[in-house]
Amino acid sequence: MDEAITLSKVVEVSPTTRHEGHSKLVLKVNDDGIIERGDWISITPVRGVEKLAIGKTMEQVPKIASRVCGICPIAHTLAAIEAMEASIGCEIPEDAYLLRLILQCANRLHSHALHDILVLPDMYLPGTDTKINPFTPEEPVRSVAKRIQTLRMVGQTIGEIAGGEAVHPSNPRVGGMYTNITPRARAKILDLAKMALPLAREQMEFMIAIFRNYQKRDWAEVGGKEIPIPKDLGYHNQGYMAVDPVYGSSSLDENPRWFPERWTEVRPWDWYMGEEEITLDDPSYPVGGTTKAGTKAWPQMEACTGVPLYDGQPVEVGPRARLVTYKNYDEKGTIGQNIAREMEFMDAVYKIIEAADALNCSGPVIPDVIPQGDGSIGWAANEAPRGCDTHLAKVRNGKVEYFSMLVPTTWNFPTCSRALEGAPWQLAEIIVRGYDPCVSCATHMIVIDEDRRLIAEKLLE
Amino acid sequence: MDELYPEIVIAGCGNMLFGDDGYGPEVVGRLKEYTLPDNVKAVDVGLGGPHFCFTMLDNGVTRKLIIIDIVDFGAAPGTLTRLGVEDLPPGSYRDAHSWDLTEPLNRLKDIVDIMVIGCQPKNVPTSDFEIGISKEVEDAIPLTIQVVLKEIGVDYGNS
Repeated sequence: MDEAITLSKVVEVSPTTRHEGHSKLVLKVNDDGIIERGDWISITPVRGVEKLAIGKTMEQVPKIASRVCGICPIAHTLAAIEAMEASIGCEIPEDAYLLRLILQCANRLHSHALHDILVLPDMYLPGTDTKINPFTPEEPVRSVAKRIQTLRMVGQTIGEIAGGEAVHPSNPRVGGMYTNITPRARAKILDLAKMALPLAREQMEFMIAIFRNYQKRDWAEVGGKEIPIPKDLGYHNQGYMAVDPVYGSSSLDENPRWFPERWTEVRPWDWYMGEEEITLDDPSYPVGGTTKAGTKAWPQMEACTGVPLYDGQPVEVGPRARLVTYKNYDEKGTIGQNIAREMEFMDAVYKIIEAADALNCSGPVIPDVIPQGDGSIGWAANEAPRGCDTHLAKVRNGKVEYFSMLVPTTWNFPTCSRALEGAPWQLAEIIVRGYDPCVSCATHMIVIDEDRRLIAEKLLE
Repeated sequence: MDELYPEIVIAGCGNMLFGDDGYGPEVVGRLKEYTLPDNVKAVDVGLGGPHFCFTMLDNGVTRKLIIIDIVDFGAAPGTLTRLGVEDLPPGSYRDAHSWDLTEPLNRLKDIVDIMVIGCQPKNVPTSDFEIGISKEVEDAIPLTIQVVLKEIGVDYGNS
């Protein structure tokens, strides 16, 4: 055993690409380049939203939560608001729920379509050894790209109508929604969703064909080399966690479907690898090569998120977790996970149509009385596109006393780390992208080279 | 009903949880208090500019994109500058998903006129959240709004 360990080489892919935020892979591989142990970790610094939330009003905190991530503002807004409602014991009117459901599904529609663009460059046109460039002007890919853009436009437009804004929703509030929508807006939602329905089906069928084709291949090209694709790419033996096929659950439910007592957390120090020296590098790996040999990596120190466990083990969250839990889905591995995501397209659109049909545009969307809270703990779990997003809160007299966010990718880090084992290291990022990861965001600032003469020429007075 | 993104789009970029990085969204918030022409939309894109907005502007309708953001160009805090796509360092608006093909603004620049109005920040914390814009950047907001209104051809009699 000791001998085997000394034979391992360590390779690092940093940063990983085509997903949100900053993360990296530290991989122990054998002589054949097969991963024996993989650590996929977030390297975005922890910021302490918990601390910032204390003392703020229950209306402010969801707005803060929505800024933690640039790609999941809708999920974080809804989960945070519903955690407040769970703490204060506030039931929302039916029409407010329907508007939130429309918003939720519109978000999923947009997000899954966006994910298709991100995974397509790893995939091949069936019958060829040509990888897909989603931005090519050539057919058949051009029509696919147009369809993806249309689905994204529909998702965002419906989200804007129900949520009030295209990116950071302004309409949801503690107690329900600020305003109901007009019958004309409802008609627009229905028109858009009905237009999207056949497109969503075509897109799902196209993507599944593309994934099945990859599954049948023996190799994939990475950095100019033919890398064998194992049949069990991305398999793991961990469990799944999902609370609803579409929307979510909260501690207000008659039968809550998330169980805080099953959740524990360990520190990254106790979970990830200790200090390692990089002993294998590959300058041809896209983009820009792997980390140079001789560099040190220290996952247990560098990991910025704790390791949440459910029933004492890491679990997978996201589309497959929902389908396994509620639809008897059973396909494992990276391809099974990507296909599960495609299978959610239709439901997202159908739910929008059902909810818009049921919506009464003149019904109330806030209750007559909104309790201000007595400090009870409440939680809400929202099934965000990339998995269960659970927020916990305590509210007393309208002020937040405690707030915590358990975001989807935090669950998936340790699970995906296990799913890496047995795969060639060059395919590790393919496995990571299957989780549609969203690693918390930071800031945006443009930094101009100081030598440039912009100051003199472009100043605005 | 209107297009998701009309002829002119004003995108406020940044994160209000990091001090002066909230400048772009704040400017957009105040622009919304004005009655803007029908062909103009101001959007608080937060950190989602590339994937919620810039990659959606190949819609055949949008002709102009004005980005409001903080820019570190070595000037005094609160100083404003106007940049074109050619002035931006590579990677400035790489999609948050790090698409390794090309950057969304470069793909867009031939069909959409793109301009960045940038403000030199004073305080952008790097680790802990901190809400609130510095006085210097706050003082730059009225001028920013004047510049934007002029750019979109709105005369409020204040420029």
